Amino acid sequence: MSRTGRRIGLLLAAVALLAYGARQCWALEIKRTVLDNGAVLLVSEQHQLPMVTISIAFDAGARRDPAEKAGLANLTAASLSEGTRQLSAEQLNRKIDFMGSSLGVDAGRDYASANCVSLARYFHETLGLLASVLTEPALRDDDIMRKKAEHIAALRSAEEEPGYVARRTFTELLFDHQPYGHLPSGDIDSVEKLTPADVRAFYHAHYRAGSAVIAVVGDVEAGQLHAELEHDLAKLKGAVPPQPEPETPQVPAGAHLTTIDRNVTQANIALGFGGIARSNPDFYRLQVMNYILGGGGFASRLVKVVRSKQGLAYSVASTFSAGKFPGSFEVVLQTKNSSANEAVKLVLEQLREIQAQPVSQADLESAKKFLIGSFPLKLDRQSAIASFLIQVELYGLGLDYAEKYPKLIDAVTVSDVQGAAQRYLHPDSYILVAVANQKEAALHVPGQTARDAGRGGGAKR
Amino acid sequence: MKLRFTNRAYALAAAACLALWMVALPALCARAALSDAVRTATLPNGLRVLVLENHKAPVAAFVVFYKVGSRNEKFGATGLSHLVEHLMFRGTKTVRPEEFSNIIQENGGMDNAFTTENYTAYFEVINKNHLDVPIRLEADRMANFAPQGFDSEKAVVIEERRLRTEDNPQDALAELAQAQAFVEHPYHWPVIGWMNDLERLTLDDALRYHEVYYSPQNAVVVAVGDFNADEVMRQIGESFSPIKNGPKPPPVSEVEPAQKGERRVELRRPAELPAVALGFHAPNYRAADSFALDVTAEILSDGKSSRLYKKLVVDRRMVVNVDAEYDRLSFDPNLLWITAQLRPHVKPENTLGVLEGEIAALRDRAPSAEELQKAKNLVQASFVYGQDSIFREAMLLGQYEMLGDYRMLDQYLPGIDRVSAADVSRVVAEYMTQPQRTLAVLIPAGMLPHPAGGASGAVVH
Repeated sequence: MSRTGRRIGLLLAAVALLAYGARQCWALEIKRTVLDNGAVLLVSEQHQLPMVTISIAFDAGARRDPAEKAGLANLTAASLSEGTRQLSAEQLNRKIDFMGSSLGVDAGRDYASANCVSLARYFHETLGLLASVLTEPALRDDDIMRKKAEHIAALRSAEEEPGYVARRTFTELLFDHQPYGHLPSGDIDSVEKLTPADVRAFYHAHYRAGSAVIAVVGDVEAGQLHAELEHDLAKLKGAVPPQPEPETPQVPAGAHLTTIDRNVTQANIALGFGGIARSNPDFYRLQVMNYILGGGGFASRLVKVVRSKQGLAYSVASTFSAGKFPGSFEVVLQTKNSSANEAVKLVLEQLREIQAQPVSQADLESAKKFLIGSFPLKLDRQSAIASFLIQVELYGLGLDYAEKYPKLIDAVTVSDVQGAAQRYLHPDSYILVAVANQKEAALHVPGQTARDAGRGGGAKR
Repeated sequence: MKLRFTNRAYALAAAACLALWMVALPALCARAALSDAVRTATLPNGLRVLVLENHKAPVAAFVVFYKVGSRNEKFGATGLSHLVEHLMFRGTKTVRPEEFSNIIQENGGMDNAFTTENYTAYFEVINKNHLDVPIRLEADRMANFAPQGFDSEKAVVIEERRLRTEDNPQDALAELAQAQAFVEHPYHWPVIGWMNDLERLTLDDALRYHEVYYSPQNAVVVAVGDFNADEVMRQIGESFSPIKNGPKPPPVSEVEPAQKGERRVELRRPAELPAVALGFHAPNYRAADSFALDVTAEILSDGKSSRLYKKLVVDRRMVVNVDAEYDRLSFDPNLLWITAQLRPHVKPENTLGVLEGEIAALRDRAPSAEELQKAKNLVQASFVYGQDSIFREAMLLGQYEMLGDYRMLDQYLPGIDRVSAADVSRVVAEYMTQPQRTLAVLIPAGMLPHPAGGASGAVVH
């Protein structure tokens, strides 16, 4: 979270973000100010369409869930839009729908975000409702208990998806009880125990303007907006105290195999280990390396080997999920049960290959061309621009990030890629979760430490 | 339950899905009329070309639509349209297998394709400076289809079916319900095809299918983005004009006979939650009633103040989600679906009773002026929001053009605006009747037992 502290009055900095095309530059103008209550406001005026998108990020993500209360950030976020002190949930929903607006609050792993889209002519009214939801939510017992029951049922429904079960189990095993040790939705057992008092306490502690970033994109006047938000969000005082950064998870040597038996036709595999935080300077080297390895879709080695050559899987991809804290590296794939061993073998071979052999200059150039050339695609819609602005502020990337990005990527060399692969890939120390018909899959990996997580649920069902 | 189309890369399925269903409820224009700004041409070989300048971001979208989908397939050879879509990435006389996506990505673009019951679409969203690249590559694979690696690509499609349908209770129910509702018309079978059919399809089937359906006379090409329309029109003409037509595609002559009496079907399989699907035969865009049916679906389930959400999610707390969807742009008359995933232990027959009560209420008492206006406002707003994405704009233009004329989209909002409260009750009475419905129920059975606690909190060692 990057904040410049409290400032009094209006600090206006207009900055042009440049997104590079091959021949021309295109400017995205951003105005950055800080409200009296400490919230950072970023505005990008876009007058082509009569609509406005607002997104407000709070330091209220799932990493803030207290011990034994996994899912609290998520339940709090969902409960906020169930009415205000003046309006019942039903009255609020009717007003929002009548304008054709949308309003919702979601908790992610790092942050919770309140999001609105409205027609320009309903912008002020929609913003007013969003402000009431954030500053004076009703948080009535009955509404919270209803949302809680919905979340439990949704978690049950998610258990139908073997891919979800694999991902959930992998996360729990890798991060153990650290802040990232559960998915934002929590698990059925922990959500069962949450109370309305928990939700209200979490709201008061974490929905604080001093730690918030507001992005407004669309058909608005930036100048008036500052005063309007100053007034509407005045009640959200204070900031959230910093959270100590946990260590990067270390997987001990060996293949740590966890099997979950399900009556399914495909083995759903999650394989990986600890990764990096967004602030790690190797982020860009890893972006290039992972594009070549398994992040680059049909251009990636994993797709070429596992899907295109062998026809073993419909989808296979690798991801470094870099957050505020060190995240994971994860390869996810599905293949028919009987091919599970073969697919895992191919994945491990590719991890070793990119460590042992330098990538070709041509592969390096292709990766750079995509990463640099496709940058404008990240800024082609209001919602995309809003989330870009929030990332820039929260991760301290700088308002000139779009200008810097091509240089950061372009600086990566063949040996940087190999060095990053050697340092951050661990093909001999990994967690492997397989949700499969275990009899058909008969998983076996060299040097494995096996545990059977039971037939149904795996960790924390 | 929205998966009546299927596409090549799972990662983009969600995005395409959203885009499709957003444009399925189009309408209002922010500008005077969106279609006024469109440049069109018909090449001598019959190819229809639509080009629209949109300068909001330095990107461009290119979409090639072929009027072929599962509706054009024959009994015993289902899934062929979608398999051909996959094979389109497997090389031509000049482009090597899987090179297509590599080239697009190197030029700062993303590409994919998807198949529906009615059509197949190939699309690129790309840095505006490189739009000539997808234009040349798409023309090449229309003319010079020569796929390699047929067997492994078929294996990928079979894995896709396992992932989407075999191991997914909701989609398995949707497939069964659709097969029950259509007896004679090809909407009977799923887009991805039956497993046994897929296993029997041959390379020869694919080559002949391409020859008939992948002709200029059977395609629509749409470009939207930050470019000069004359220049792009010239590039398209240059690349596509030399392509010759194959044999004329045979018309789809099957007509679904009127349904006489309710059809009920039950699926018992491993699942966490019960589900209900209720499908009613309904006319498509050719009928004036299609506007009122669109408004009816809005009133039933769009937004948290909609009737079904309010009754089933909030008041009775019976379901996790409920949705009414109607695709008025279906090439042939299709279904208006109501689908719901139930909370654990809720009896499907009780949910059905409440659904029937809501349908009867809308039939017997016209909606209030305010409720009707709210539904219209929601439609209008989503139309404006849809224009925030150049890809969605291209989709919308192409969908209408395939039905005969892209300018029909200008009639959409006026059509919605003319719907009266009495119209809504009348179409409910006419189409949403018991003898014209198919009821499908998912009953969880044969789940493997879940051990209490499972591997909770276990430490990796």
